[in-house]
Amino acid sequence: MPDPVTKIMVIDDEEIMRDGCTRILSKNGWSVVTAENGEAGLAELKKSPKEIDIVLLDLMMPGIGGMEVLEKIQALNDIPLIIVITGYATVASAVEAMKKGAYDFIAKPFTPDQLRIVVRRAHERRELQKEAEFLRSERERSLRDVATEKSRVNTIINCMGDGILVCDRDSCIALANPAASRMLKIPESTLLGNHASHGNLPPELAKTIEESLKSEGIVYTSVSQEMIIGESQETFLRAHTAPVRNDLGGIMGSVTVLQDISYLKELDKMKSEFIAMVAHELRAPIATVEQQLTVILGGLAGKLDEKQEQLMTRARERTRGVLTLIKDLLDLSKIEAGKMVQYKEPLNLADVIHHVVEMMKPDAQQKNIQIDFLPPAAIPTVQADRNSMEGIFTNLISNAIKYTLAGGRVAIRLDDDDGFVKISVADTGIGIQSEDIPRIFDKFYRVKSSETRQIVGTGLGLSIVKSIVDAHMGTISVESTEGKGTTFSILLPKAAGLAGCEENP
Amino acid sequence: MAKKILVIDDDPDLVEATSMILKSKHYDVVAAYGGIEGLEKAKAEKPDLIVLDVMMPDKDGYTVCKELKADPVLCEIPVLLLTAVVSFISTTRYTHQMGMETEADDYMDKPVDPAELVKRIEVLLSRQ
Repeated sequence: MPDPVTKIMVIDDEEIMRDGCTRILSKNGWSVVTAENGEAGLAELKKSPKEIDIVLLDLMMPGIGGMEVLEKIQALNDIPLIIVITGYATVASAVEAMKKGAYDFIAKPFTPDQLRIVVRRAHERRELQKEAEFLRSERERSLRDVATEKSRVNTIINCMGDGILVCDRDSCIALANPAASRMLKIPESTLLGNHASHGNLPPELAKTIEESLKSEGIVYTSVSQEMIIGESQETFLRAHTAPVRNDLGGIMGSVTVLQDISYLKELDKMKSEFIAMVAHELRAPIATVEQQLTVILGGLAGKLDEKQEQLMTRARERTRGVLTLIKDLLDLSKIEAGKMVQYKEPLNLADVIHHVVEMMKPDAQQKNIQIDFLPPAAIPTVQADRNSMEGIFTNLISNAIKYTLAGGRVAIRLDDDDGFVKISVADTGIGIQSEDIPRIFDKFYRVKSSETRQIVGTGLGLSIVKSIVDAHMGTISVESTEGKGTTFSILLPKAAGLAGCEENP
Repeated sequence: MAKKILVIDDDPDLVEATSMILKSKHYDVVAAYGGIEGLEKAKAEKPDLIVLDVMMPDKDGYTVCKELKADPVLCEIPVLLLTAVVSFISTTRYTHQMGMETEADDYMDKPVDPAELVKRIEVLLSRQ
């Protein structure tokens, strides 16, 4: 804020004038200093700039004259308001002084009131000047802060390990940090200012960006996708794209955050390879053990007594369990290595399910469980891998049989559901507790209860089923009531609705 | 006269178990413990049928099978392929892969059910 006390300097060679002015002005609460000549006045002004608000300057002085002092004051950094005191009331000298930058003049002799009026007016003017100056400096400071803030944000964005791509409403790339350019292997200059779809962006990312910009009115939060970059497909990126909205919900642009996940993919691949290797190494000797047990149980190595046969039979059941686990591990590692779902073809699921139901009938009959499957006369085909589909239904139907008590029923339905084919497998079995439902698709998760203890399983079956459904861009859900039964429902996109998606299974 | 079957597998325990199954059905069994030895024995013994393991360190079953089928003398011998490297979620994948990758006459997953093995062998031999 401006200094509340106005300071006035009186420059006059006459002591009477200096004393008189001081006396009059001090009464008004103003602070007054005096100088007995031009040099002393100028020296004082130079010594403490911005201290003096108003100068009362006598034009007729020995030494340097008032006019010269006036000129010199104009050269100072901070110019106080100058009121010239003119001894001989000539308009000419007053006009000349005003031309040289004086604010006002007062003619000698003057009354105290005349002096007060002139000084008060100058004082008000000075206050306004100070206020304006204060406001201007405030504004400059905030502009400077904005500039600093902007460069700070830029520095942060440029130093980030994650890539940032900002697109405007017209999907032109407005900002790309060095990490984004490095990850996408596109020079920053090629990215900036280019249209997302015309730049060298991966087409799937450009598509996501454009869709996010078109999501006006839709609750569209963030889309996450993975893509492979580089000539030898060596870099895996994960991109999260979200629209940026203004206060009214209108879309202003989009922000994409890129992360290099190559090392995660590499770890994942190593893990899958490790599991496959271990499973192979385990499977051969255990298969041999089972073969030997089978030979002994077949009486080929001599007749067994009842107890021996009972123990051998149990031993063979245990090795079978291990073999199933190994087979599931192998399946899972193949699915994760992307080696599954390779032979997609238009498939009639009614045929596939019929085949699986026929295979399962002996198991069902043994437990006196009825399997119902009545497909509709015509069902759209799905683009799918036959063996994977057989795997899914073998898993679901054998589960249904396992977890249903004797005399129960397993019903399989196949329906045309909009753009999808819906398959459901419903049983009248023991059901799944609601707290177990969220975890049943997890690897190695098995529901533990007195009823399931006797049932052999690896905890991988449903996890494999889900992986296959995911690889076919489908969804799987489960509904269950304890003691009443469980229904698994799968939605798979129709073959026709999948056009253009086959490149990216 | 008893039919002669050559069993080729790098796992001696498995060769023994398979041999016991076959001998119980009065087949004459010759054993080989690797792909290269298997090919030599096939030439020397002229078996009526070959039971061939897929995963072998020196020469795998697919290669052995290919070489057998390329040999004008041995190509008539039926080959039953055995493997412990199971396939996939359902065994039918093997039908595809075998048809494409090998010229074996039949295949089975290890471990085998003795009755099933004998049945398949009888079918293959009856074709001759």
